[in-house]
Amino acid sequence: MSIEERQIERLLELSDRLRSLSDWDGAIDALKRALALDPDHARAHAALALALLGARRLQGASIEARLALASDGGDPFCHHAAAAVLCAERKLDDAWAHCLVALEVESADVDVYVLGAHIRELQGRLDLARELLERALELEPVHVGALTALAEVELADGAIDRATARVDEALAAEPGSVDAHVIAGFVALRRGDVAGAEEHARFALGEDAADHGALRLYTAVKARRSWTMGLWWRFNSWLTLRSQRGQIAILLGSFVLIQLATIVAEAVGADDVAGALDLLWLGFCAYTWVAPFMFRRMLQRDLEKIVLRDDF
Amino acid sequence: MSYVIPDEPRPGALGHLVVRPSAPLLASMLAGAWLAWPWFVLNAIALGSPTRRKEVGLVALAAAGTVALVVLTWLLIKLGVIDSRTTASLAVLAISTWKLAMAYWVCIVQSRTFHVYEYYGGAVRSAGAVLAAGFWLRPVVLGLLDDPFLIIIVAGGL
Repeated sequence: MSIEERQIERLLELSDRLRSLSDWDGAIDALKRALALDPDHARAHAALALALLGARRLQGASIEARLALASDGGDPFCHHAAAAVLCAERKLDDAWAHCLVALEVESADVDVYVLGAHIRELQGRLDLARELLERALELEPVHVGALTALAEVELADGAIDRATARVDEALAAEPGSVDAHVIAGFVALRRGDVAGAEEHARFALGEDAADHGALRLYTAVKARRSWTMGLWWRFNSWLTLRSQRGQIAILLGSFVLIQLATIVAEAVGADDVAGALDLLWLGFCAYTWVAPFMFRRMLQRDLEKIVLRDDF
Repeated sequence: MSYVIPDEPRPGALGHLVVRPSAPLLASMLAGAWLAWPWFVLNAIALGSPTRRKEVGLVALAAAGTVALVVLTWLLIKLGVIDSRTTASLAVLAISTWKLAMAYWVCIVQSRTFHVYEYYGGAVRSAGAVLAAGFWLRPVVLGLLDDPFLIIIVAGGL
């Protein structure tokens, strides 16, 4: 192995450690240095795709995943990265195809099973997601990621007791796991224990103030406490489950439907109905424009004064 | 030497003019395409967006598509297909929807680069004054045109 290759391997190891600590900027920087040494290094491109995904830079992640596959189409790690990126882009069938290749080549990588389960869950195939996670736990019985993912699947399936049992196992294995606290919070929320959910959110945010899941949980808690904000949150959550194209199609579709209804109402002489529809649309636009600002301000104010209970 | 990730913006001399891509999107609704389309292009250049060619291409497509739809509407009026207030409203709705869809599309493409730019501490200018000016100037700009088809082209998406 040349000096250059050894340097690249060290930078890849460093980036793995930084990724596991959610230090996305650090990981990205290490991988940029690795790629400066060898711009065609497939695993460095794949790792960079995953780091960029962690930093929510989907466009860059997508390009890097494609570069990884172009550099070495047979490397399971490249397929793993491609599956993760495609899953984030909600191209679920393609994501599953890459995940399957990664699983076939490297069937002992628990992280790929967890990713595969997440894809299956998004496809609405909870049974297949559960099956994949059970196989992952056979390989590594106390894998916190797999236990947390299984708790999430059980929660999505409405099996709250099973979800509680799994998330308790995950927290017993790693009491500081942010992901486990987030799922525990959602389980508490489903049970109607808003205060308990808030404590989990606060703990998770204390561990990682930028964690997406923790912020989502905290937002859900605040939404549960305010009817008007909750309405926007639910609409927004439902909308963001779709791809960006899907979101635009829904918003434009709503616009066209309301306008069509207004035109028809005017054509048949029902001017009152047309006026009401216009007002309805104006109200919807104003609400969806103002609500996010109010919601963000409310959250920001709260996040600045988070204090955990002593006995949590 | 460092590797450059393809999504990284490279702001140039106009970097101080960067605004959130939602500002030109809002301008397309409140002021009109006359403000929104050039603003999207300016923002792409100011950001040093790696996808600026795509963004400029999409703006060109939006303009060309709007002109094509307006010409089609004119032809349909000449042929007598559009012969009532209702059918005319439907034609205008089709054009508005096209313009809105394209504005959303450009905004989404530009937002990807903008988020990276903002994440790494890039300065973002407030767009409130330009939006307010655009809103108040709207009747003045549209008043300069006496052809209803030209007004439909440069007017807002809503």
